[in-house]
Amino acid sequence: MIGLVLRRLLASIPTLLAVILLSFVLMRFAPGSPFDGERPLDPETRAALDAAYGLDQPIPVQLGRYLLHLAHGDFGPSLVYRDFTVTDLIHSGLPVSLTIGGLALISALGGGIMFGLMAVLRPDGPLDRGLMLSMTLLTALPTFVTGPVLALVFALWLGWLPVAGWAAGAPRYLVLPVLALALPSMGAVAKLTRAGLAQVMEQDHIRAARARGKTGWRLISHHALRPALLPVVSYAGPAAAGLLTGAVVIETVFALPGLGRYVVQGALNRDYPLVLGVVTLYAALIILFNLLADILYGWLDPRVRG
Amino acid sequence: MTSVFRYHGLRVEIAGRAVVQSLDLAIAPGECVALVGESGSGKSQSWMAPFGLSPGIASGEAWLCGEALVGRDEADRSRLRARHVGFVFQQPLTSLSPHLTIAAHLEEAFTQAGGARPDRATLAAALSEVGIDQPQDRLRQFPHRLSGGQRQRVMIAMAIAHQPALLIADEPTTALDATLRREVMAMLTNLCRKRGMAMLLISHDLASVADAADRLIIMRQGEMVEQGPTRDVIAHPGSAYGRDLLAAAPRLDGPAPHRPAIGALLLEARDIAVSFPHPGWRRGRLQAVDQATLTVHEGEALAIVGGSGSGKSTLARAIARLGPCDAGEVSWRGLPLPPRDRIRPAERAGFQPVFQDPVASLDPRWRVADIIAEPARHLGSGVSQQHILAAMAECDLEPMLADRRPHELSGGQAQRVAIARALITDPAMLILDEATSALDVLVAGRVLDLLARLQRERQLALLMITHDLAVARRLCHRILVMDHGRIIEQGDTESLIRSPQTDITRQLVAASH
Repeated sequence: MIGLVLRRLLASIPTLLAVILLSFVLMRFAPGSPFDGERPLDPETRAALDAAYGLDQPIPVQLGRYLLHLAHGDFGPSLVYRDFTVTDLIHSGLPVSLTIGGLALISALGGGIMFGLMAVLRPDGPLDRGLMLSMTLLTALPTFVTGPVLALVFALWLGWLPVAGWAAGAPRYLVLPVLALALPSMGAVAKLTRAGLAQVMEQDHIRAARARGKTGWRLISHHALRPALLPVVSYAGPAAAGLLTGAVVIETVFALPGLGRYVVQGALNRDYPLVLGVVTLYAALIILFNLLADILYGWLDPRVRG
Repeated sequence: MTSVFRYHGLRVEIAGRAVVQSLDLAIAPGECVALVGESGSGKSQSWMAPFGLSPGIASGEAWLCGEALVGRDEADRSRLRARHVGFVFQQPLTSLSPHLTIAAHLEEAFTQAGGARPDRATLAAALSEVGIDQPQDRLRQFPHRLSGGQRQRVMIAMAIAHQPALLIADEPTTALDATLRREVMAMLTNLCRKRGMAMLLISHDLASVADAADRLIIMRQGEMVEQGPTRDVIAHPGSAYGRDLLAAAPRLDGPAPHRPAIGALLLEARDIAVSFPHPGWRRGRLQAVDQATLTVHEGEALAIVGGSGSGKSTLARAIARLGPCDAGEVSWRGLPLPPRDRIRPAERAGFQPVFQDPVASLDPRWRVADIIAEPARHLGSGVSQQHILAAMAECDLEPMLADRRPHELSGGQAQRVAIARALITDPAMLILDEATSALDVLVAGRVLDLLARLQRERQLALLMITHDLAVARRLCHRILVMDHGRIIEQGDTESLIRSPQTDITRQLVAASH
């Protein structure tokens, strides 16, 4: 398995390079520059700024330089948030995004798998139908609806939880954003678990286990659950990367100092190093989580290991 | 003597339709009774429904070790199943949970009737008893690392681990290749004798259970047509259906069938080699076929025979340009055949395949007429309605089936559709990959008759992949035996069967008698 991990990590280097190259080139082709403001700068200042950040060099040279710095772990300076490097910004935003996203991921998986199991215990019963209907609703509702609604009900009307803010990660402040972020994924996980279980329960090895006297919960937990979770894992890999690297909408609704807003602001401001840095991080996380998903696959279904 | 298992007037209904009607049955301790019938005869429903293992609803009387099965709730039935019965199913490949080790499976089986948790040595001994070598290593492995035969042995070890009074084996050897069938059936019989266990055997193949069963019950369309001691039924079958079942299985003895004359050289394959990467996370490659050379003449039937995993299907697919081919040359009527990604439609039209699983090889959403017409649309110059109906008639398919879809066909009909589809381009050769082994004995016999007729009437060459020498003998001029990817023996059918030169061939011959 160590061999597999090493091979996959090596194979991910060209993928990462391709992502960086593509984002680099795309951004340079987009009109505008980081120094375009309300008022045009005079040409001398503009030239001086371009020279200071190396923007006067040909694009291949800039790209080469960027990669060289990146190899040293240096994402470069932010062009808009002066006095901050991109590394500083990621340092301040990533922990917030990781906390919110990680908790949301755990709730989505835990809640989703639990609801999926509850639904499948009595297939086509009222509980099954009710749960699956609400899960479909959850996946359908966008976070810019559920976020404000949650804040309205639990913060403004009931007054149980704060409306917004971070407060250095105090638990009370985490509940609503985590919930709002987790709900759509939870719906998807529940539906995938339900469908996976329903399919596995039809298989020969389940009938063989029933013939040996296994029924109910023990049959499901011992013989059906692991193979049934395969589709959940292939969904959760990429979804995890998305949850962890910052949900722009949730961060905006709940005024959280996470990574998501840097992506949006960076792109609007043509803050090339900031966008590249966040995109590179995002790509690396996706690769990492897909690798984790593959390893989990091997645990859930040993046939994958060969 | 009291019975271990007894039915009186058992009836099973599925969705209001009776699939088993007034079945009587009694199995004494240590006795082996076989239920024989073609698919759809209700033989499987007759045991699954009373045990609550199928959606069928059982009524009448069913007694297991003095306890009633009919009318009990799921908890009771599951307790009765676990305590008194061991089950062996037809599908050894899929009846073990893929994510649990062999040891976990066996542990569950040992404890299912309330027994103590067994130690490692007990588990290993249980595997040895069913003829699995290196039991200590096997215990740690997952099911997919074991062959089909080994998995079926594990299923048997599990079925007897809790010392049940009754063993129910539903087509326990049907999915295995011919050599293994005999061994596994003999092992089941021995285990039952040794432990005084009663056994209910279910099979479509009368010949396969004849040695094991003390008594036979022949079922047809949910009703018992004949029953009695095995020896009497086989010597003097009392019903026409029983006689058909007995006569259906192809045999190695008896007069050689007439085989049509052979023409010019049609296909020549030289030094074919195929390898696959190891599945999953392991590295390296597996040599599936190595240096295989063969020829087929016009009108000639050649059988490639071997156990599962011997590379026979891979070789046929490489030659037919349907699967990968790493090395070697194939020529068709003297001209080299391009590899599969460059082969032209006109070249493909000359040889057409028929696969093992008749239903899976037909697109479920298509009508029969479209399925049959498809090769001609892609490979030939188009096809008319008369052309399709003629191909159907040639394969004994009624014209009214043209508008049906595959799920509305029986297994035999579906395989006839696959054969009609293969014939529509007017090929000179058919490639038959275990084309009859998924079918019941009776149905398979009729499909073999059809192939023999086509062979005669069309001067059709056949490349036939099978694990069963008796099936090969029914049609083929020559036989080629494969083992571990190599051709280890070949020759004229009758002399190869009469004087086999290698151990593998001898085993295949013994298995078909």
